[in-house]
Amino acid sequence: MADDAAPNTGLQHDIVREVYRRFGEGEFRFQATIDGMPTLWVEAGRILDVLKFLKSEVQRPYRMLFDLTAIDERVRKHRDGQPASDFTVVYHLLSIDRCNAKELAGGDIRLKVGLVGEKPECPSCISIFKNANWYEREAWDLFGVVFTGHPNLRRILLPPRWEGHPGRKDYPARATEFDPFLLDQMRQDLDQEALLFKPEEWGMQRSSGDVDFMFLNLGPNHPSAHGAFRIVLQLDGEEIVDCVPDIGYHHRGAEKMAERQSWHTFIPYTDRIDYLGGVMNNLPYVMNVEKLAGITVPDRVKTIRVMMSEFFRITSHLLFYGTYCQDVGAMSPVFFMFVDRQKAYDVIEAVTGFRMHPAWFRIGGLAHDLPNGWERKVKEFIDWLRPRMDEYEKAALKNAVLVTRSKGVAAYDAAEAQEWGVTGPGLRAAGVNFDYRKARPYSGYENFDFEVPLADVSDVYTRGCLRAEEIRQSLRIIEQCMNNMPAGPFKADHPLTCPPPKERALHDIETLITHFLGVSWGPIMPPGESTTIIEATKGLNSYYSVADGSTTSYRTRIRTPSFAHLQQIPAAINGHMIPDLIAYIASIDFVMADVDR
Amino acid sequence: MSLQDIAFYFFGFIAVLSTILVIVNPNPVHGLMYLVVSLLAVASVFFSLGAPFAAMLEVIVYAGAIMVLFVFVVMMLNLGESVIRQEQAWLRPSTWIGPGILCAALLFPILRLMLDGHHTPAGLREIGPKEVGIALFGPYLLAVELASMMLTAGLVAAYHLGKHD
Amino acid sequence: MTLPSWITQETIDTAIKSVQAVVILVGMVVVSAWMIWLERRLLALWQDRYGPNRVGPFGLGQVIADMLKIFFKEDWTPPFADKAMFWIAPAIAMAMMILGFMIIPLGDTLWIADLNIGLLFFLAIAGLAVYAVILGGWASNSKYSLLGGVRSTAQTISYEVFMGISLMGVVMQAGSFNLREIVHAQQEQVWFVVTQLLGFIVWVPAALAVTHRTPFDLPEAEQELVQGYHTEYSSMKFGMFMVSEYVGIVMVSALTTTLFFGGWDVPFVDNEGWFLSFLSFSAKTFIFMCSYILVRAALPRPRYDQIMAAGWKVCLPISLINMLGTAAVILWQTPGASS
Repeated sequence: MADDAAPNTGLQHDIVREVYRRFGEGEFRFQATIDGMPTLWVEAGRILDVLKFLKSEVQRPYRMLFDLTAIDERVRKHRDGQPASDFTVVYHLLSIDRCNAKELAGGDIRLKVGLVGEKPECPSCISIFKNANWYEREAWDLFGVVFTGHPNLRRILLPPRWEGHPGRKDYPARATEFDPFLLDQMRQDLDQEALLFKPEEWGMQRSSGDVDFMFLNLGPNHPSAHGAFRIVLQLDGEEIVDCVPDIGYHHRGAEKMAERQSWHTFIPYTDRIDYLGGVMNNLPYVMNVEKLAGITVPDRVKTIRVMMSEFFRITSHLLFYGTYCQDVGAMSPVFFMFVDRQKAYDVIEAVTGFRMHPAWFRIGGLAHDLPNGWERKVKEFIDWLRPRMDEYEKAALKNAVLVTRSKGVAAYDAAEAQEWGVTGPGLRAAGVNFDYRKARPYSGYENFDFEVPLADVSDVYTRGCLRAEEIRQSLRIIEQCMNNMPAGPFKADHPLTCPPPKERALHDIETLITHFLGVSWGPIMPPGESTTIIEATKGLNSYYSVADGSTTSYRTRIRTPSFAHLQQIPAAINGHMIPDLIAYIASIDFVMADVDR
Repeated sequence: MSLQDIAFYFFGFIAVLSTILVIVNPNPVHGLMYLVVSLLAVASVFFSLGAPFAAMLEVIVYAGAIMVLFVFVVMMLNLGESVIRQEQAWLRPSTWIGPGILCAALLFPILRLMLDGHHTPAGLREIGPKEVGIALFGPYLLAVELASMMLTAGLVAAYHLGKHD
Repeated sequence: MTLPSWITQETIDTAIKSVQAVVILVGMVVVSAWMIWLERRLLALWQDRYGPNRVGPFGLGQVIADMLKIFFKEDWTPPFADKAMFWIAPAIAMAMMILGFMIIPLGDTLWIADLNIGLLFFLAIAGLAVYAVILGGWASNSKYSLLGGVRSTAQTISYEVFMGISLMGVVMQAGSFNLREIVHAQQEQVWFVVTQLLGFIVWVPAALAVTHRTPFDLPEAEQELVQGYHTEYSSMKFGMFMVSEYVGIVMVSALTTTLFFGGWDVPFVDNEGWFLSFLSFSAKTFIFMCSYILVRAALPRPRYDQIMAAGWKVCLPISLINMLGTAAVILWQTPGASS
């Protein structure tokens, strides 16, 4: 935690000292953040040099561009000591080596570039990080930050004919603040026309030599696109020459919603980010807000959170398992796995009162305590699923047809995976031992005994096997939770806990009013910035919240794993055939809500 | 006129008609379908003449395999309106009248021979596959071997052409 | 009362045969339609579900309900389709599969057409059936349909080759293309699945491929091509494609029974009556129909190029070896042939 009393220059971090030595301290401004992540402000002109230095020159380099986003700073009140800026571009780099070495700084570094004006310009860093492409398009789409040198700076989440940049503070958040929406024939035709794929815009040719390519529009409604996902394939016969993934059909503007919901009432929205993740989505958000508020939660809360999150890891992985088999053409497994998921949801329902989207975690605790007899239900489920997993392995993963369909398909190695920002099982399948639960344990994961399954090369087959093994490990974790559930309260005793503790209210009129405001307007978080990363069902999920001393967040950035994974598709699949693409898409295990937010 | 005769003339008429339609139809796929019909009609003619083995081979080899490949290729070429216009242009008398006269010249001697009466009527009895086999591997063995050599040569050539560098 | 002169014994026989043919074919189509119900129930059984169980006893009325629904749905032809070809494709599918059943003897006296080139007729029909898929795929004027049509063509051409060759062993042993004589030969010798095991092993994938069933359903692979060649079809035209698939299954199951499992033969019974023959034939066919469904429930789908490679590099050599081996054995056993 940054110490507010002493002037904080960031010199306690090795990496900050190293950067200062290389570029000179005058180039930077250090910003203390609540999460303790080293945060440096850089001039737009120097950012590429600094990124290059961090990626390839430092010891134990920051190989992964974990996140890139923008903040509209124009109406922010508390910017103590930060350089003047209308729009800030935030780079979040991640070093897996540093993470695994359990460094103080945590293996992350945050770089900020302050930009001024209505049409802010920032140099594009695609030449350094390939996966910056989509992130920069997103920042342009939502905030209007122009990345000079970007090869294809066009809208990504919003339709091509959208006007304005909705992430900005002067863009209204509610439909009632707009003119009524009308879709007449002309507009419909224009919108349809705008969606038509024009290969030339993507630097593709319609024919080459004596081959005429066929352009196949797969999605946004296609049985195996796993949601409203569109990918345009350039085909030579059935071979994929090139492809362009197109996302945004499931965009709800969750980040914008966070700016008008109170800290507390945003929790249900997080459930629907990765709609298979359930309370797993609540976890990074509430932990992040707890950091901002300075709440430490009791051990019982931590353990229950771990248990319920692992339940959702299992349901999500089971769905993956079934659809994975389905997408290589096996019809039956998905039905078995849905039966198992129902059993899991029975337990989840008994505990939380809801099945898919319980929104059950609270800032500083849980909605309520575990019900009586919960151990029996949990035990029943564990005993049910374990033998079934063995059966599935024999029937599905060892099936010769499935193996020949999936081995060596859409393979990539560790370096490529990091270049594209791949996290989760997709990264571990490439042999990188990086599980955030082990590397930077949160919510008490350091107390659990479980293994991180690994493979040598990440292909469709290993990605499937790894997830099957992770289900078993999750069962182990749940079993340990069940056997070692600590006693204690299910809520932290802290004024910012939501809903506010009733015991604090019933003393006098003052405490009653505080309680009333805490419930009706929601808690007021002290100004500050914080990021929390967790190992979610599909990879690393993080919430970056900027609090400006009000009842709502000033800016909430949701970094989701699926977004990064989809961007990688062309790099991994070109040269394969259509059925390989389907198998590959299945092996990514993405959810469009998680991609588009 | 027996039932066989009726069948013969009926299928013969269909064969002639569909063959004409192959020529005059401007749409390549439709044209090919008429060709398939024509082949099926010829197979039926064989049938009515008491040569079921020949009829079946006609269907399996020509209609079932070769024409499928033709249709396949035409499908892949994705021929549009321009081809239909081109075909229609070829149907102008100035294009077909020359070949038409030559064909008529060929037809004349055939008709002469047919009307001559110096040939044995077909369809007196049914020739089963066994008899065809005995004939092919008995008196006509040399022809069968020559044909198979030609096919082998074709196979080798196809393999060579289809091989990726 | 005297009969008119045109009623001879021959016309009476013809009439009886015609009625018999109509009854058998209609019965077969009905059985095929009900196989949809069977498939859904069996799949459900194997997948821990119930399947259709509401309409009538055991949900048997589901097929009638589905047919009624499909009849009254809008019969829509896409404006971009080639109308004539689009319409004729499902008809071809249905007609070919029904025609193929014509040659199969259900009993020693229960048959429609007793062709001496019976098996060749089946091969011809299998060859022509591909037009339904090609034309459906092409006429729909949709890229997914076209890809389905293309796959189907390549697959059919490849699998027809060794399908024919794999059956030649049976033909050689029986000495005839006629299916009744093939059954008679099996009554005299043994069921050909014993002597023609290799041929049977190759015939199984070919039989699956000819009906476009899993794992050879590449032309309509849902996960890849939406519905392949019949993506654009609806209403009864779709229904005809659908039923023709099941007619195909019944037909191929019946053919498997006839060629390899002794047809109507009941082991150790010398003179089966027509009823016992029919019962034996139906029971065997039913088992094969069920195994079709089991295959669908159990297997993933190989990739298109893997299927082609398996066809040309594995099945074709096996079937050729089988044919040569059978020929050699027959030659060796025939007295006086070796001179």
